[in-house]
Amino acid sequence: MESQEEQRPDAFQSYWDAVLAELESTPSVPEVEKIPIRTTDFATLYGVRLTSIGPYRLTAYLSIPTGEPPFPALFFAPGYGSVVTHIPQGAPNSMRARYATFSVAARGMRGSEKPFEASFPGLFTEGIDSADTYIFRGIVADTCRAIEYLSSRSEVDPSRLAVIGGDVALIAAGLTGKPTHVAMDPGPFFEAAERAPATQAYPLQEINDYLRLHPRKRTAVERTLSYLDPRWFAPAVKAECRLTGGAEGEPLDRRALLQLLEAIEGNVTFLETEHSSYKDGLSLHRWIAEQFGFDEPILPSIW
Amino acid sequence: MGRPAPHRYVSKVVRPPDFDAFWEDVLAQAALVPLNIKVVPDKLRSSDDVDVYQVFYDSLDHVRVAAWYCVPKDGRRPLPAILHLPGYQSDPPVSKEWARLGYATLTVAPRGKVRSNKQFNPGYPGLLTYSIVDRNTYSYRGFYVDAWRGVDFLMSRNEVDARRIGATGSSQGGGLTITAAAMRPEIVAAAAGAPYLCGFIDAIALEGTYPYQEINDYLNIHPESREQVVTTLRYFDGINFASRIQCPIIVNIGLQDNVCPPETGYATFNAIGSPDRKMYPYDGHGHDAGRRDHAAIVEEFFRTNLEPQQG
Repeated sequence: MESQEEQRPDAFQSYWDAVLAELESTPSVPEVEKIPIRTTDFATLYGVRLTSIGPYRLTAYLSIPTGEPPFPALFFAPGYGSVVTHIPQGAPNSMRARYATFSVAARGMRGSEKPFEASFPGLFTEGIDSADTYIFRGIVADTCRAIEYLSSRSEVDPSRLAVIGGDVALIAAGLTGKPTHVAMDPGPFFEAAERAPATQAYPLQEINDYLRLHPRKRTAVERTLSYLDPRWFAPAVKAECRLTGGAEGEPLDRRALLQLLEAIEGNVTFLETEHSSYKDGLSLHRWIAEQFGFDEPILPSIW
Repeated sequence: MGRPAPHRYVSKVVRPPDFDAFWEDVLAQAALVPLNIKVVPDKLRSSDDVDVYQVFYDSLDHVRVAAWYCVPKDGRRPLPAILHLPGYQSDPPVSKEWARLGYATLTVAPRGKVRSNKQFNPGYPGLLTYSIVDRNTYSYRGFYVDAWRGVDFLMSRNEVDARRIGATGSSQGGGLTITAAAMRPEIVAAAAGAPYLCGFIDAIALEGTYPYQEINDYLNIHPESREQVVTTLRYFDGINFASRIQCPIIVNIGLQDNVCPPETGYATFNAIGSPDRKMYPYDGHGHDAGRRDHAAIVEEFFRTNLEPQQG
């Protein structure tokens, strides 16, 4: 078996160093505007505009609790879909009374769809035949920009900044070093090229679609995807991590994820999904509260 | 203290006396708009066993609506068909897996969704409260018609058996399934999961989560509009459509659903007119509504009612 270092693309470090250098040389030029309709007596919502590499102008949503800062912060990393909202569907709005929350519409997503509007399916293979043109090079940069911005806000407690999401959450945590906590559901970039042929589910199915039409590009596609595999970012992640994967024998179970789990520098808790948005959600909210020093989580009323 | 048992909940939704007349008028307006169907083969998404097409048709107010259409290549004809209806935030998927089971499948992107947003794009959040004070211009007036017109597309296809059309979806897709089954008698079997758009005014009082929270946000800054909002929503509430459903239907809900409260799921189910109805409540589940275990039940339900093996 090859060591982790041997499997990682040779140019991995220089590739991402170049992305971060480009990001650093791109002024973020924030614009912040209150959104009255989503503002309550316990929290104020702001629309935020930021520039990422390209340059590309992004839309983000920042909620700040009413009261005395600093506040613990939750950053919802962009997932795979066109819609980005200020808090995820199903999360209690009242959690905005305790936590500063932040989400960003990465390039192509609703709110950041000009000049590039992503299609779904379609985004996952946009520019995939070269690591330099792959859309997720920009999306990762967008996510890093968002984390930098959030951590720069005086209302945010830098010792309690959690990033929540999929692979992009862990990737951005590794690249920026800012989040103190990571809650991650691995996929789809984890061993993407190897796992795609075994699935008919999107977004991985996009790879199968693409290679069916462009079989000669297989090597290039595999090379591009290897730059996004969360395993290679894990050694740089010093945050407290919580990963939810499959139960034993299911896809992405503990055994499948072992290399990733062992590579993360920070403390890691692995949980098996219960395939219930209630049970998995309850567990996540409890973990956040516990990690940030609260006795009780803020939950939907029915929980 | 917990809430009372959800099946005992009494909905506050009232059915307006002119509910049916309102929708007959909307459908009459829609009938004046030719479908103007365009079907474009999609080589990228097609596979060895399934042909995939991008579909476009016109809907109410001449809004152009996109959809994905999947047909199995195995030669069995005519095919039963399933209309797949999308969630509130999610992007309509390419349903190749259902085509592999022997169905022609249409996944509609009603107005405002990606690929159907050139003429109407209120955003998310935003769709739920767009023109919510006026039932004649409320977002879901056209949105519902866009979804229902998928039936017209399916019936236009030579490879589809017009006597074997089903509808399914979860969350908003579940709510749209309720309304489609109510308004389109061509639908002979329906499976609705965690139905959204059902019991609006119940939901905004029971839970404080999005998307329903959009209505509370709106009312917080427009408290003077409450009566108009409540009036509009009565015309769009799945509970008020449900009595028109006459086909076999199954409904699954999560008893800890924090997005579409189970109380609203029961109220919707109890209002269904069809005697051939069955409820699957999943304890220990939220808005997933037991999807993992329920998927096999939905498959079997359509296998029984639409008989894909018949060809």
